[in-house]
Amino acid sequence: MATVNEKQRTTGLKTSAFTKTVVRGKAAVRIMEKRKGERVFNGSDKIRNRMKSVRNIQKITKAMKMVAASKLRGVQTKTENSRGLWQPFVALLGDGFSVDVKKNVVITVSSDKGLCGGINSTSVKVSKALTRVYSGPEKETKYVVLGEKGKAQLVRDSKNRIELTISELQKNPLNYTQVAVLADDILKNVEFDALRIVFNKFHSVVSFPPTVSTILSPEIVEKESEAGGRLGDLDLYEIEGGETKSEVLQNLSEFQFSCVLFNAVLENGCSELGARMSAMDSSSKNAGEMLDRLTLTYNRTRQASITTELIEIISGASALEG
Amino acid sequence: MATAAGSSSAAVPFWRAAGMTYITYSNICASLVRGCLKEPYKSEAASREKVHFAVTKWVSGKPEKPTIRSDSPED
Repeated sequence: MATVNEKQRTTGLKTSAFTKTVVRGKAAVRIMEKRKGERVFNGSDKIRNRMKSVRNIQKITKAMKMVAASKLRGVQTKTENSRGLWQPFVALLGDGFSVDVKKNVVITVSSDKGLCGGINSTSVKVSKALTRVYSGPEKETKYVVLGEKGKAQLVRDSKNRIELTISELQKNPLNYTQVAVLADDILKNVEFDALRIVFNKFHSVVSFPPTVSTILSPEIVEKESEAGGRLGDLDLYEIEGGETKSEVLQNLSEFQFSCVLFNAVLENGCSELGARMSAMDSSSKNAGEMLDRLTLTYNRTRQASITTELIEIISGASALEG
Repeated sequence: MATAAGSSSAAVPFWRAAGMTYITYSNICASLVRGCLKEPYKSEAASREKVHFAVTKWVSGKPEKPTIRSDSPED
């Protein structure tokens, strides 16, 4: 018993008395089956079971790819139409990416479901990098996370910086009203000087780079417009009605947030479907390769055991004759 | 649009004074417009108004109980 324990410690193998009896029992069963005249292929049923399960997985991933492709077609038209919502804002106000503010809120858009490749990890990486970029004395950055996958990754090391998490967003097909209600919730619950929305922009089925859109709070826009530049041209516009410039800026800022968030959620949805398509495609391809290798091994084992049986029979027969 | 009469620049529109944001205001107006449609376009538009998501507020690193916003958007 002492030598067995030493072996366990050196090789790290867990051989218990129970497994030894089970192994001995299995060998006994195999010998008995052979005596009964049944053919036993060494380990080939194991290979056959593996092949069956790999084939099933391949069918499932192919089906998932088709589903994602069909969903993508619908969402893609919506996304391309929604791009027209924020383009006038950027033409008017510019994108305030380089504006330095005290309170940043990073809104990370991610998916609820998995099996979509690496898009959620890239979004989370970009969000974390943004936090580092905007860190400094008297500055703070908070997170608002849309989607379960982003939440799971950010909870690991930035728990204390999360303000809100939102999930179950994709239960109904995405529409503007839902995103507007969500934007309203965020505006009511979170204080911010600038909102940075991180999402995966959909360029094509294989290209969805992470992008950051910035929305400045109306007070910051006023400050920046006094400083001149693109926003300084706002004073060139005449404001109709009885509203003041700050009221107009507040309305504009809220509406801009809602539009940009709508576009971000749509683009991220598109990218998620595209990423899922390519992930499931490579998964089916891998399953096919695995199946080929398993088939070769299976045939080899089968032929080897047939040859062994033949040799036994022939040598037995020649022994009888000779 | 009922904006405040431009007498004093400190007057706010009625909906801002009631605590609504511009987004809520425009959503209410939009659903009023959708309600003016005739069938079958009305039910098609109603399907574009569905809202469902769950919000969880986090306080000092701990999530609180999530609130589900799953009603028709105006209430």
